[in-house]
Amino acid sequence: MSEVPFKNPGWAGNTGEFDLDEDQVRGDDFVGTRPREGGHPSGAATYPYMLPEKHPDAPLFEGEHKERFEKILTRYPNKQAALLPTLGLAQEVRGHVSPETMDRVAELLELSPAYVRGVTTFYTMYNKRPVGRYLVQVCTNISCNLCGADDVMEAFLRYTDTEIGETSEDGEFTVVEAECLAACGFPTCVQINSRYYENVTPADVPKIIERLKAEGAGGD
Amino acid sequence: MADTITLTIDGQEVSVPKGTTLLKAAEKVGKDVPHYCYHDGLSSPAMCRLCLVEVQGAPKPMPACVTQAMDGQVVGTESELALDMRRGVLEFYLVNHPLDCPICDMAGECHLQDYVHEEGRDHGRSREPKRVFGRDDFGGDVLFYGDRCVMCTRCVRFMNEVEQDQRLCVVERGNRSVIDTFFERGLEGTHWHGNIVDLCPVGALVSKDFLYKARAWDLDHTPSVCPSCSQGCNIELHTRDNLVQRLKPRENLEVNAFWMCDHGRLNYEWINRGERMEAPLVRDQGGVKAMGWKEALTLLVARLGDVEGTVKAVASPFASNEDLAALEALVESLGGGDIVYRMPRAEDEIVLKGFPTLARRRDLASNGRGADLLGLRRVGADDGTGGLEDVSAHAGVVIVLGDGLADQGADFASGAALRVHLGTHSGPAVAAADFVLPITTFAEQEGTFTNHEGRVQRFWPALKAPGLARPAWLVLGALVAEGTGTETPRRADEAFARLVAAHDAFSGLSYDDIGTRGAVVNDTVPLSGD
Amino acid sequence: MAYPYVSDREVRVLSKYFGDPTQRRLDTYVERGGYQALKKAFEMGQDAVIDEVKTSGLRGRGGAGFPAGVKWSFMPKQPTKPHYLLCNADESEPGTFKDRELMRWDPHQLIEGILIASYAIRAKHAYIYCRGEFFEATQVLAKAVEDAYAKGYAGADIMGSGNDIDITVHVGAGAYICGEETGLMNSLEGRRGQPRVKPPFPAAVGAFGMPSTVNNVETLSAVPHIITHGGQWYRQWGTEKSPGTKLFCVSGHVNKPGNYELPLGFPLMELIDDVCGGMRGGKALKAVIPGGSSVPLLNAEECGRCSLDYEGVQAVGSMLGCASVIVMDEDTDIVKQVRRMVQFYAHESCGQCTPCREGTAWMTKVLLRIEEGRGTEDDLDTLLEMSRQMTGTTICVLSDSAAAPVVSSIQKFKDEYLALIRRGERVGVA
Repeated sequence: MSEVPFKNPGWAGNTGEFDLDEDQVRGDDFVGTRPREGGHPSGAATYPYMLPEKHPDAPLFEGEHKERFEKILTRYPNKQAALLPTLGLAQEVRGHVSPETMDRVAELLELSPAYVRGVTTFYTMYNKRPVGRYLVQVCTNISCNLCGADDVMEAFLRYTDTEIGETSEDGEFTVVEAECLAACGFPTCVQINSRYYENVTPADVPKIIERLKAEGAGGD
Repeated sequence: MADTITLTIDGQEVSVPKGTTLLKAAEKVGKDVPHYCYHDGLSSPAMCRLCLVEVQGAPKPMPACVTQAMDGQVVGTESELALDMRRGVLEFYLVNHPLDCPICDMAGECHLQDYVHEEGRDHGRSREPKRVFGRDDFGGDVLFYGDRCVMCTRCVRFMNEVEQDQRLCVVERGNRSVIDTFFERGLEGTHWHGNIVDLCPVGALVSKDFLYKARAWDLDHTPSVCPSCSQGCNIELHTRDNLVQRLKPRENLEVNAFWMCDHGRLNYEWINRGERMEAPLVRDQGGVKAMGWKEALTLLVARLGDVEGTVKAVASPFASNEDLAALEALVESLGGGDIVYRMPRAEDEIVLKGFPTLARRRDLASNGRGADLLGLRRVGADDGTGGLEDVSAHAGVVIVLGDGLADQGADFASGAALRVHLGTHSGPAVAAADFVLPITTFAEQEGTFTNHEGRVQRFWPALKAPGLARPAWLVLGALVAEGTGTETPRRADEAFARLVAAHDAFSGLSYDDIGTRGAVVNDTVPLSGD
Repeated sequence: MAYPYVSDREVRVLSKYFGDPTQRRLDTYVERGGYQALKKAFEMGQDAVIDEVKTSGLRGRGGAGFPAGVKWSFMPKQPTKPHYLLCNADESEPGTFKDRELMRWDPHQLIEGILIASYAIRAKHAYIYCRGEFFEATQVLAKAVEDAYAKGYAGADIMGSGNDIDITVHVGAGAYICGEETGLMNSLEGRRGQPRVKPPFPAAVGAFGMPSTVNNVETLSAVPHIITHGGQWYRQWGTEKSPGTKLFCVSGHVNKPGNYELPLGFPLMELIDDVCGGMRGGKALKAVIPGGSSVPLLNAEECGRCSLDYEGVQAVGSMLGCASVIVMDEDTDIVKQVRRMVQFYAHESCGQCTPCREGTAWMTKVLLRIEEGRGTEDDLDTLLEMSRQMTGTTICVLSDSAAAPVVSSIQKFKDEYLALIRRGERVGVA
């Protein structure tokens, strides 16, 4: 932890920054909502942590998601290459990638379900089981570790009252260890859903949790 | 000659075509470089790292299965560096591999056992708890012991590339990776999955059928040909205690490559079926008497001399070329006659997509083509029944070879002047015959089958025939010899030579020509099946 | 808005606009001279662009340090198949955080670099493989790509030049091994991101079986500057064999961790003491990892002799890698940190090659046991032997990377291991 206090211009994590909203913190409107319609041959990013299994019987992609899926298909020379973005989109819709979801994706992309399972389980970010509303990923890799990541992790576990890798009883928080999140100059870095929280100390943890609870049903 | 290069392997010079890998080049000088993930019938991912060899001038050891041989290279497959690398990789394998040898089916034919025994360390240095995956039922005939798996992914690649039905995948990554199916959906509905048990270099994939049945070192291996369809896959019969314990494919790039289908692989129990007829039985006024061959055949020859009427015969497509040719010769010597056979047929062919000349054919017996080439006629329905009305109503001589007549009653050919049955098992229609002569199955005799494309392939005896059972070509050959005053063929190759002499389709062939690879006939007879 | 990490020792070529959110806007970027390099590149012609980059001596900034111009020259000059440029934005090396900053603050610089590189290698389609965790950076980049398309700087007939280059932002899903170039290609193709055997090399058979080139974000971000000012200009900084500037990612026990763009060849101790404000709390230096967790550790004495260029770091027995300097003070528990690094490699190993799959997991277990005080001196020999068998025997270098901290820490900090083994005592606290 640095002894020289400084303002990190992007991220809430330093003491006292928590009442600024996104635009104020970030300073302009070009970082904020990503183009929801999937944009040009460009973004295929995802929000993986929506609440689980909204309508398990409905077709996997409907309406706006179906359009995004079709746009994804245009960006790659074959259907197999669209697998990772499609799985990400499926996770956005369903909250996690269940066997049934893998089957649907396999059907859509004309791949075998076993193959889709092999690819899905290779990558860390596809949740194979439902996660809480907030997936708290604490980096404990070397740079953050040198600056007290273990204490931050322990604080998160205490304040969410959960075990590592598990979801809290109220279904709000799942706390996991993450590998290096590429914010090593701002230890400890914590990723909660899609947002980075940098320079987190154990003292910041209760404030972060409060803020998240207050955000409540807005999702992220 | 510009396409041939010369390199030195372990001090020996060898010339190979350009593009040959070091592994194949080493084979040419008799060096088998240990390997797991490489297989001739599959892609080469070079991931097991067991085949690392020393190449002079290269900065690090090279995987022999994918490194192309270059002119003037100096390679060491047993140099200090190569042995060191191999010892290291083997130690890594043993870190998590359970000491299951006492309970593992693969013991005795296990590549890990062999390699570690030859080149591994005396003691592993790992004192950590091993990772555990447990046993998983993959469906079909396959059980998976995850702890034993060495992650060579041959099974996954076989299903992807050869059967082309991706049922298996690697789940997770790193040390947590394990082979699995798509959750509860296993290998059911696939037709070639038995091959992954052959491919698995350790005992991770085992056959449920063979589980705990016999130890590998107790088994005798006999080269043979699969009897279950007209593809004629080259196989081995693995036997112990005079019983067939399992079938394994034998490599033949022109017929079945390295594979065989599940139908053929698991269809061997009938060879072990007991209650075999063990002695010639002769029926006369006093009833049925068992007697020795000399007595029985003497009586039969006499009866054949006396009896009036033409001959009708029923043969079996499971009988060898020699057996069928001897029957045909006998019928000829008795004045000629119609010989028919019934063939069970499947609804469709099951082609192995990754090696399309291999299929589980519609004809579900091995020698239909041989029967056709020898002039026999196919009758009956696709389930192998019926078609024998003419024979059953015949008043002259009726000879049955091999066909068990399971769909016929005791009144079969009841009006015939003389009924001779050569078979393995009794039954109502069989017992009613005048002469019931016990013969061998294909597993108990030497002979040949002709497959769907006209390839004549040899098989060898793996089991001892029960009691006095003898090959049909010997029995029938003796009858022909008596009838025509010629010599009885004493050995199968003599019987085959007689066949060749009598049938143009087989001209020019001999057992030596056929060898272990088979030889294709030159014929113009159309196939009677598809 | 003041970016926190500024030092007057810096030479801010790539990082000039870090901290300035207006740089993300296309109009601002163009006002400041953006996309002029692209225009110039089109006028120069493809081979001249490659030559210019070769002249500059720009070496791959992703860790391998392979000269970028030479890599580009491997691509066929007369394409018979589609070529692909793959931008490796899968920054997962522990200690590295420069690519994220480059993507967040100056996305158009990267896009321009990608366009120039694609043009040079005759590629009509570029994929930017972004790490899945980089939501914000991907958003910024995606928006920037869209703006570029809207104003004709990307897509069909760029700036009326007749060149068509498409850019797709592809998002990964959390696997360090997808930062390896062939792993990236496999992941892009929708497979498990496992590295491939080389040969064949990417310039012959790459993504989708087509000739491809993979370049790091920092490498591509440097390209517009090289084209604008010329290759020779780039050589005014750095050394003969390691020319140019580098973004050094300093983390760990310094007062001012962060990204600092400095000429290559900068002395390590000056980086720590001067640029980063010295060791936090005034503690003494114990060890430094100069190039991300995949390279050997340096002890304090070696740090004193270390200059931060590819050859300089090699001279003291380590590698520059991606120049992520991780600084450890006297209170550091070396055994714990090495264990954490090896644990990272065990987690991220793809599982293909036996030495890596089994070795990383085995090393983690042994190190955990030593940390818990149940180790023996034989374990150290075993670890060294394991490391030897894991080096140079696999398809990619992840297992070499896992072995490097183990070997170097046992060689240089053996007393810490022995303290745990013999007396169950931890030397450090963090």
